Amino acid sequence: MNLRRTLAISQKALRALKHDRRTLGFLVLMPLFMITIFGYTFGGNIKGVSVYIVDLDQGSPNGSVSQAIIDDLTSRDVLDAKAIYGPEDVGVNPIGIALDKVKKADIWAAIIFDTNFSRDVMEALDNLRLGIPAMPVSIAVHLDASNPNIAQAVLTEVQKSLQTVLVRDYHLLPPAVVQEHRIYGEGARFIDFFAPGVMGLAAMMVTFMISIISFVHERSTHTLDRLLTTPVTEGEIVGGYALAFGLVAFMQSTVILVGAILLFQIQIEGSALLALSIIFLLGVGSQGLGFLLSSNARTEFQAVQFLPLILFPSILLAGVFWPLEAVPALLRPVSYFIPLTYAVDGCRSVMIRGWGIEQVWPQMAVLAVFAGIMLLLSAYSLKKRR
Amino acid sequence: MNTSDVRQKLTKTDRMAGRSDAAIATKKLRKLFDDLVAVAGLDLRITKGTLYGMIGPNGSGKTTTIKMLVGLLRPTGGSAFILGEKVPIKTNLPKIGYMPQEMAIYTDLTIHENLELFSRAYSMPWEEFERREMELLKMVDLEARRDSLAGQLSGGMKHRVSLACALIHDPQIVFLDEPTVGVDPELRVGFWNYFNKLKATGKTIIMTTHYMDEASRCDVVGMMRLGELIAEGAPNQLMESASAGNLEDAFLKFARRVSA
Repeated sequence: MNLRRTLAISQKALRALKHDRRTLGFLVLMPLFMITIFGYTFGGNIKGVSVYIVDLDQGSPNGSVSQAIIDDLTSRDVLDAKAIYGPEDVGVNPIGIALDKVKKADIWAAIIFDTNFSRDVMEALDNLRLGIPAMPVSIAVHLDASNPNIAQAVLTEVQKSLQTVLVRDYHLLPPAVVQEHRIYGEGARFIDFFAPGVMGLAAMMVTFMISIISFVHERSTHTLDRLLTTPVTEGEIVGGYALAFGLVAFMQSTVILVGAILLFQIQIEGSALLALSIIFLLGVGSQGLGFLLSSNARTEFQAVQFLPLILFPSILLAGVFWPLEAVPALLRPVSYFIPLTYAVDGCRSVMIRGWGIEQVWPQMAVLAVFAGIMLLLSAYSLKKRR
Repeated sequence: MNTSDVRQKLTKTDRMAGRSDAAIATKKLRKLFDDLVAVAGLDLRITKGTLYGMIGPNGSGKTTTIKMLVGLLRPTGGSAFILGEKVPIKTNLPKIGYMPQEMAIYTDLTIHENLELFSRAYSMPWEEFERREMELLKMVDLEARRDSLAGQLSGGMKHRVSLACALIHDPQIVFLDEPTVGVDPELRVGFWNYFNKLKATGKTIIMTTHYMDEASRCDVVGMMRLGELIAEGAPNQLMESASAGNLEDAFLKFARRVSA
């Protein structure tokens, strides 16, 4: 393989992109668009869940426990109490109204405190102090659990406020607690988890796409044939393109990284350069895959049809948005055949765990082997045509 | 010259295949596409410094023959030699220039970038490339459009760029598959002057054409039909032996003789 001829091919591929302003814009803006939209969609916590609170609690000589819990609930913005009924509203049948609202899906939940709530809590506390078994007191939450995430958020909020009040006002400390020691990911948010995923996904998608379209174009306009009548070898063509599109993937991921840092203040514990190198390897492999499939498409239109075929398994099974552990056992082996899985895992380890090359080399090795196989097969498929 | 003369001449070609004054020699060269016979045992011998024109209707095997000679298609049978070396072989490639029928230039690059890419494919030194680029752009009358994207040019201009790309590395043998399609008459005269200049420096040119007036300007014309060479010789000689006034009539007469 002649390096200068290989570089001539790389230069040609990059120049062609340079002249195509729209594609160039797409290459830069698409990743920015992706990180922004994914960041705002997945990065936010649930806020402003509409609920009704029905407080029929008559209180106790020591004050109202329910009132303290409601105060705590409304001090945060996860729940949005559209209406709060007090004991004085008992005449209008507040429970009926609240349940009706849930049934009509106007609100997500009705949180109901019983008439004797405070009194029962005090009694249970007294009994506990005396060592007498106590009946637990309950807060009723009537839920529209059609959205599990929201249902979970409501329950967690109520739980949290109950805990806070009991500990703060009544000094009821649990006998044992779980203490968390974060070895990795101190302060990591969901956006930190998926930013590496989006980087890998964007790089794979774009390099695959520009590669398959470029080669279908080269074949249909016969420029590929013409190049092969010059001393340029099959390996040089494949290598030249791989280098060019690998650099495109590298550049794109840089845009995503910078965008994610500026917009979402994501953390990068390890070396950004190492993470980008992982993406480079993925880009080279994806362009090779695009090249291989390009021989099975006669037009650019046919080429684009391969995109969803490659994209969906990668989005769903490679651990971009949820961990591999969430992939059903039956499909798990498929995950291990998707190169993106290794790129995302490697980038995550570098960016969140702060690992160096001595820990992520296995992922890099898998990607390098994938890239190598793709390039060899591509060069071979070109040779075979002749 | 009738077909038996041609056949006689061809046995001679066999013996001379690979001899030093042959730029191109083929021996029983055949190409099948599934059941379709594209080239049916072609024996060609083209001496160095010849301007050789291939004429014949669509599907007569002209392009397939050229594609085998430049190494893009593998012959089904027989063999071909370029400057004494069997094709396909990589060492031949720097010596040949090829302009495909489909133009095959990069429409997403400028004219200059197209030429530069091909010059780098042949590892040409930069100064030499610059000199050749100037010379060729002048010949194809595209000096002013050097930095235009090839995709924005007219069809005829693209053809001219394609021709310049085929000649950039000053090849010994040039294969031109319909080089003058869509080129206006005035510029075509310029092309022919350049072809004659190339020939004068010992270069061999093999071209296919549909223009009979062009074919008559070649040194040797090979008439192809259904993958076979039905007649070959100097244009005047061909017209004389067919007692035809022009090459077109001569072709028709030869074709009738073969069918009979």
